Amino acid sequence: MLEAMGMSSMDDLFSNIPVGIRRAEPLPLPDPQSEEEIWADAQRILGSNVSLDDRPSFLSAGLSRNFVPSVVGMLATRGEFLTSYTPYQPEVSQGMLQAMWEFQTMICELVDLPISNVSMYDASTAAAEAITCAVRVNNRKALQKDIVYISSLVPPHRMSVIRNYTIGAGIEIRTIEHDDSGNLLLSSAESATGSCAVYVEQPNSLGIVDIGLTELKSIIGDETSLIVGIDAVSLGVLEPPGKWGADMVVGEGQPFGIGPTFGGPIYGIFACSEKYLRQMPGRVVGQSWDTEGSLAFTLTLSTREQHIRRHRATSNICSNETLIALMGAIHMSLLGPEGLERLALRVAASTEATKRSISRINSVELVNPESSNFREFAIRVPGSASDALLHLDSNGVIGGLDLGMWWEGMSDCILVGVDERTSEDDIAALHDGLRGWIEEVCG
Amino acid sequence: MSDIFSFRGAPGTGWSQPSPILEESEVRKSIPDGISRKSLPGWPRASEPEIVRHYTWLSNRNFGIDTGFYPLGSCTMKHNPRLNERIVQLPGIDRIHPLQPESHLQGLLSIFFEMQEMLAECSGMDSVTLQPVAGAQGEFTAIRCIQEYHKSNGEGNRDKVIVPDSAHGTNPASASMCGYDIVEIPSAEGGCLDLDALRAAVGDDTAAMMITNPSTLGLFEVEITEAARIVHEAGGQMYYDGANFNAIIGKTDPGRMGFDAVHYNLHKTFSQPHGGGGPGSGPIGVREHLSRFLPTPVAARKVREPEDPEGVGDGFWYFWEDVGQSSIGKVQQWHGNAGAVVRAWAFYRRYGRELELMSEHAVLNSNYLRHIIMNPDKETAEGIHCMPAEGAETELVMHEFTLSMAPLKELNGVTGKDVAKRLLDYGYMSPTLYFPQIVPECLMIEPTETESKEVLDQFASDLHSVLSEDPETVTSAPHTTIVKRVDEVWAARNLVLRHPGGDFPGQ
Repeated sequence: MLEAMGMSSMDDLFSNIPVGIRRAEPLPLPDPQSEEEIWADAQRILGSNVSLDDRPSFLSAGLSRNFVPSVVGMLATRGEFLTSYTPYQPEVSQGMLQAMWEFQTMICELVDLPISNVSMYDASTAAAEAITCAVRVNNRKALQKDIVYISSLVPPHRMSVIRNYTIGAGIEIRTIEHDDSGNLLLSSAESATGSCAVYVEQPNSLGIVDIGLTELKSIIGDETSLIVGIDAVSLGVLEPPGKWGADMVVGEGQPFGIGPTFGGPIYGIFACSEKYLRQMPGRVVGQSWDTEGSLAFTLTLSTREQHIRRHRATSNICSNETLIALMGAIHMSLLGPEGLERLALRVAASTEATKRSISRINSVELVNPESSNFREFAIRVPGSASDALLHLDSNGVIGGLDLGMWWEGMSDCILVGVDERTSEDDIAALHDGLRGWIEEVCG
Repeated sequence: MSDIFSFRGAPGTGWSQPSPILEESEVRKSIPDGISRKSLPGWPRASEPEIVRHYTWLSNRNFGIDTGFYPLGSCTMKHNPRLNERIVQLPGIDRIHPLQPESHLQGLLSIFFEMQEMLAECSGMDSVTLQPVAGAQGEFTAIRCIQEYHKSNGEGNRDKVIVPDSAHGTNPASASMCGYDIVEIPSAEGGCLDLDALRAAVGDDTAAMMITNPSTLGLFEVEITEAARIVHEAGGQMYYDGANFNAIIGKTDPGRMGFDAVHYNLHKTFSQPHGGGGPGSGPIGVREHLSRFLPTPVAARKVREPEDPEGVGDGFWYFWEDVGQSSIGKVQQWHGNAGAVVRAWAFYRRYGRELELMSEHAVLNSNYLRHIIMNPDKETAEGIHCMPAEGAETELVMHEFTLSMAPLKELNGVTGKDVAKRLLDYGYMSPTLYFPQIVPECLMIEPTETESKEVLDQFASDLHSVLSEDPETVTSAPHTTIVKRVDEVWAARNLVLRHPGGDFPGQ
């Protein structure tokens, strides 16, 4: 090949790189390995991790220890899907385009809003970009310009993402507080009237299902966007936010399609009403026809996007999480409406059963005893949460999240998270582990 | 057609699940009355075999690298090794929660640490974070770090980011999301950076310059160190868009060129599959003066003490290190796309210290393909109506190159888009179309290192055939694809963005 070009060595190919910046020495990296050596290393190295499936686990906090049906990964990783690029050439990309159009439909049905994109990176970036979208749409008429209100129970890692995404747009974030039961203070929500947006989560980060949120839209009014972060599985039993006034719904899609996978790749759900269509982030698939009148699909509304609009784009998002959204679509198709309901009932049952078991332990309190919970609830333990979790760990139980990591003043609280797979044995192990901890602390 | 919503079987057709661990009536009592769902979503009711056929049918209507040659410029569509897919199914990654204690995560932390070190070494940077999950998010993250760096120096008034007119669209979009005004500078004749334009653009309001090298025309910017000097002298920072990193590994690096920050596309250079648009992974590397602004935490290690648990057996104990008060915080809620990081790790281990072979073969394939396209034999040349023009007058290109179809358009009205669509009929994915915008009727071609000489020879020969065809055949292409040219205007006017319910398509 070099000869065909009249060259004699590989170095000729790189002669445009000025001598002063060439790398003279070889890269100090390990020896090349064969496939079987890498596989052996991967098994050994990753095998030293402790998997959630190895022991009872009550760690959730936004990711689900779900069960993904076998067919999901097998279909989604067919090479034609796995190794394709963004479907910019619709004539040879109808498969992924249609699958994403169907995904959009399933998300619309799930949350009861008319528009969905084909995924964001995760729940946090979906929330952050929903907020910047709302400001672009509402700011001109807003009485409280560049201001959004966010529930004080949105967890700090998500708040950090939101701050990074809103700082450049000059958006000011104010918080709405909660009462002692963990419900949003609707009286303080009134101050959000005239602002660009309100962002709340249902259930909130402590797992509380807050029925008061259904009144929020009537309080803040039409000109202020109501953005709701969801637990996607909960919508098998909870009324979708689109039914109670949400203008945009965001959330973590991971429970449908992929394991917790160390936090990524996962995918963010983003759905909205028509008002936001031309300011929303992310790719959208539309139906159309080909020149012979056959049904066809194509990416549409691309003039919002960075490759066309450059610095005036509604978002910089280019690579998204399409393949994981495809896994989600396959999983949702398998479940169907009743499968979703069953899944949600199983999580609700695990929540209720775990809560009951824990509340029977003397010296352990529920932080919000009056609340209804889905998937998660907070408990207060004697001593520190981190020590209690270490004790549980040494007894082979992953007990949950030390809430002191999220909020000062909660360092004696644990966020206990369940899932559809939580068993009575798991609950007994947590119960016994916590009792053991009480004995150790209280004697 | 197969329509997933046309499957309306009995409830429970596609799944089998255990019963809830409490009686349903008891569970229902735990859900407040006023907020229980009244009607379930209109999802399909399909059996597993119906779903297998539906998605198999869809996959047959999709084109991937597995289907055929995918010369999509700037996207580095190289083969995706299947070992990597097998590895990420291991429970030691698939069934791991990012909030588990470090003692549960020694294997993953060691891979994160190794990847941080490897990427820093290949790019000449001092610190790396794996948190950004896409190239564009990497750009955004690095520009946020640069923004905080300027603020910490009392220079928060720097409000402009310079990008060349050949830059990827994500560059200006990412900087704009950080609140910066964009100054776009025109390329010099020949497509390289225009240093005079750069000198005229920099000033005490310059926060950064964003540029990729090689450029989107596949040209190595030979004056890059001088560009870096100009930007630094004005007090700005140099940002390296790593989309074209496949061209230079082991040969040079952004550190030597004078850059302060860089992102890597693990889904391009390190073979994470593109998956129809994602997931990606866009780690960033920075020089030391920017390290304290990186997202938090990063993987770190210390020599294992006797009392520490065993770990991975390499004598180290791995842990999360908080970046500290100056950190910009989080850009993704966990630790990035770990699955992509692990695949990239498996990919790089195959080459190890010979990683530069990857870049050598990518640049060889690109130059060879350009050469044989532009130098057809005499007989072939006689049949061709009109040869494309070079996108840039140059002896050598790097891993990709551009061709302008403007001469064809002038001669007989055949556009770049027509040629791209006709190539679909020959069983290829089309090259990147109309980018960079500075090349008229542009096709941008990147063969990658994983294609053989035979594939390149056949592609050149088929492109020559297209150039010899009756213009009408080319302008009406594609002819053999599953659907013909799709009416994008109809889609944008009518905005049918979801299944309407009922039988579909309607009339």
